[in-house]
Amino acid sequence: MTYTISAPPHKKTKLDFKTLNLSKIIALLPLCLAAIYFFGVPALGIIVACVLAAVATEFGIQTIFKQKVTIADGHAALLGLMLALLIPPEAPIWIAIVSGFFAIAVGKHVFGGIGSYIFNPVLVSWVFVRSAWSSYMTPVSIPHVGQFSDLFLEPGAGLMVGVSPILLIGGVYLIYKRYVDWRVPLAFFATMVAIPQTLLFISGVAALVKEGVLNPLMYMSQFFVFLEMSPELPYAMIGAVFFGILFLATDSPTSPVTKSGRIVYGILCGVVVFIYGYFGNYVDGVFYGIFLANCVSSYIEFNTMPASFGTMSLPEKIYRNIMDKIPASMKFEVMDNE
Amino acid sequence: MEIKKLETLPEKIIIPLRQHRGVVCEPLVKKGDRVLIGQKIGESEEYYSSAVHSSVCGEVLSIEEYPHPDGNKAMSIIIKPEDSNDTVVFSPYENIRSGQLADFIKESGIVEHYGMPTHTVLRPKGKNIDTVLINATSSEWIGGTFKTPKEYASQVIDALKLLMKAADAKKGAIVLRTDDKDSIAAFEGIEVDNKRLKVAPLVGSRKMGYYLNEQNSDIVVLSQERIFGKKILNFFTYNVTGRKVDIGCDPTDVGVAICGIKSAKALYDAVHEGRPFYDTVVSIEGVSDRMEYLLVKIGTPFKDVIDHYGFTGEIGKIIANGVRTGVAQYTDQVPVTKGTTRISLQRPEEVLTDDSIECIHCARCVDVCPVELIPSRLAVMADQGRFDECRQIHIENCIECGDCAAVCPSKIHILQLIRYAKDAIEMAYEDLPAKESSNLKLGCACGGE
Repeated sequence: MTYTISAPPHKKTKLDFKTLNLSKIIALLPLCLAAIYFFGVPALGIIVACVLAAVATEFGIQTIFKQKVTIADGHAALLGLMLALLIPPEAPIWIAIVSGFFAIAVGKHVFGGIGSYIFNPVLVSWVFVRSAWSSYMTPVSIPHVGQFSDLFLEPGAGLMVGVSPILLIGGVYLIYKRYVDWRVPLAFFATMVAIPQTLLFISGVAALVKEGVLNPLMYMSQFFVFLEMSPELPYAMIGAVFFGILFLATDSPTSPVTKSGRIVYGILCGVVVFIYGYFGNYVDGVFYGIFLANCVSSYIEFNTMPASFGTMSLPEKIYRNIMDKIPASMKFEVMDNE
Repeated sequence: MEIKKLETLPEKIIIPLRQHRGVVCEPLVKKGDRVLIGQKIGESEEYYSSAVHSSVCGEVLSIEEYPHPDGNKAMSIIIKPEDSNDTVVFSPYENIRSGQLADFIKESGIVEHYGMPTHTVLRPKGKNIDTVLINATSSEWIGGTFKTPKEYASQVIDALKLLMKAADAKKGAIVLRTDDKDSIAAFEGIEVDNKRLKVAPLVGSRKMGYYLNEQNSDIVVLSQERIFGKKILNFFTYNVTGRKVDIGCDPTDVGVAICGIKSAKALYDAVHEGRPFYDTVVSIEGVSDRMEYLLVKIGTPFKDVIDHYGFTGEIGKIIANGVRTGVAQYTDQVPVTKGTTRISLQRPEEVLTDDSIECIHCARCVDVCPVELIPSRLAVMADQGRFDECRQIHIENCIECGDCAAVCPSKIHILQLIRYAKDAIEMAYEDLPAKESSNLKLGCACGGE
């Protein structure tokens, strides 16, 4: 009897790249259905054209350059689908075809294919068509969540991605299943919420200072503004932003691999998107913002390389320095080893 | 959980003369000799070696190169067993003195499962050991060799005392696994030197030293999360004692000796019954949900163990010592050695045949790495032969647990690449002139190997 020999480990996870892509596509399907219901047949046309263009481009490029054809792993289809959601449904069909081609050809393969691209191909292509044919690519309206029902069906949506923020819940499920990393979206979302609230607090304190209030309780009462919602938030909590948080920012090749780096990257995305959105609008802001954050992601990764295990980080060193100066009788700390 | 005994006599017993790393033993018998159970059949004058004993009574068929479960061939003594229980006379050594104990361990052939003779761990040349740890984090398979859990606990404590005596160490600890409730229950409240001990979890900065102070005892029982891997010792030492072992050194350089539960039990048996190390418990798993524990004689071919397990279908892969880090075997004629703990079987359709694709930077490997490395980056560097850059990002810390390769959705052979780079680095720095001079120590403060 012959036996196979190979290097360990001899048992691996069943999860592979194809499953990851297909699960993301499935997570986006409810949103697509809602968009088709909302915008009608043109939306379906855009989606089909964009996906087909992306897959055909990948097939063409890999055949011409005699590479292994990888359309079956679903990555091209996923990129095409994500891209279609960012195109206004009124746009002509050739926009979808051009952008699908551009995403795969320039966004993905020029940079070296899966894992090597530095900018999210979806955003590369979106930025290209947005600047080249801005008249077609400008959405009819910029949504803003006025009432609670807007989270379920947003009548003011200009892009397919904005029709129903709640249908992006599939992305949260992917995070729960650990198909998608949790650090980037969490840091991103927390920053998006924290900045407007902090601004509200600062402006409240500044107003008090201006009035010359001396009562410290008045200042402390300003902490309660964290409980109420900043007027900025309804503009930020729209479908496009949630799509950016859950699907664009989490695209793994364009985000850092280190643990702390991913948190920094999420915060950076949040800050940049907020600045864009505050002075412009959040729909364009989230795409341009993540595109900008992609530029520095490898810089973040390089500067957050973990040290050897057991090495003290800077805060720990400072803490240790302080604690070593305090006499032993005065502290309630874990006794020294040895 | 019960441990069955392999009663059927195999056609032949193959006892490799290499049971550990280091010096290979010289055979003491020749073809045609009759050997008894427990008879010493191989030994070496060198300190870095351990005696080999016959596990059966029978006739020596030949002494030749034979497959060894580590993947290479080793000089082995092949014995045709007889159906008899003739043993050499076993005499207990209850009152052995500390100085003789190391020699006694060498004579009894006790080795660690990670490939070191136990006496060289306890009494390394030129180093002082002050702490002995028994790693019982994978102890579920041994528990059944004892009649009751209490007996298990007290015997392990006794064995630890013996090990401490052999090493002349003042402090000792038994490390259990947090989710191994049976062992924790067995050890909870055990009395050592008239003090009741509690099983203490290793959390945060509370390491062994803290609990030694708190329980005011020389021996403590600790518990920690499960860790496994090939090069686990340095990380284990850091986890338990808080002592950082420099790269290129081993725990004995910081005064810590790590013993397995298996060698602790073997030492206990050797001292109290005079029986040398010639049988061992292996677990066998795979192809069905059943997992069996078998007490087998050292030298039994894997084939007989598998036959006893009762699987007759086609086998795709036989793996010694676990599916994560174990070695796949090319024949089922390899013998069980002192270092064998587990035999895993896989059906032909279970054998992995995935193709690797490019890294997608999903960072799963970073999330699972127990020693805070960036395995994806290491794999790329190793693949391109950039070994110095691997060193800069601490490749030596890798404990070779294989988690990174197991979770990789791109199916990259990360562990294999990292081991390749580590080997290359070791080879590159072995013949550096710096190593010959004792003044230059390759960035290592202890001066060890």
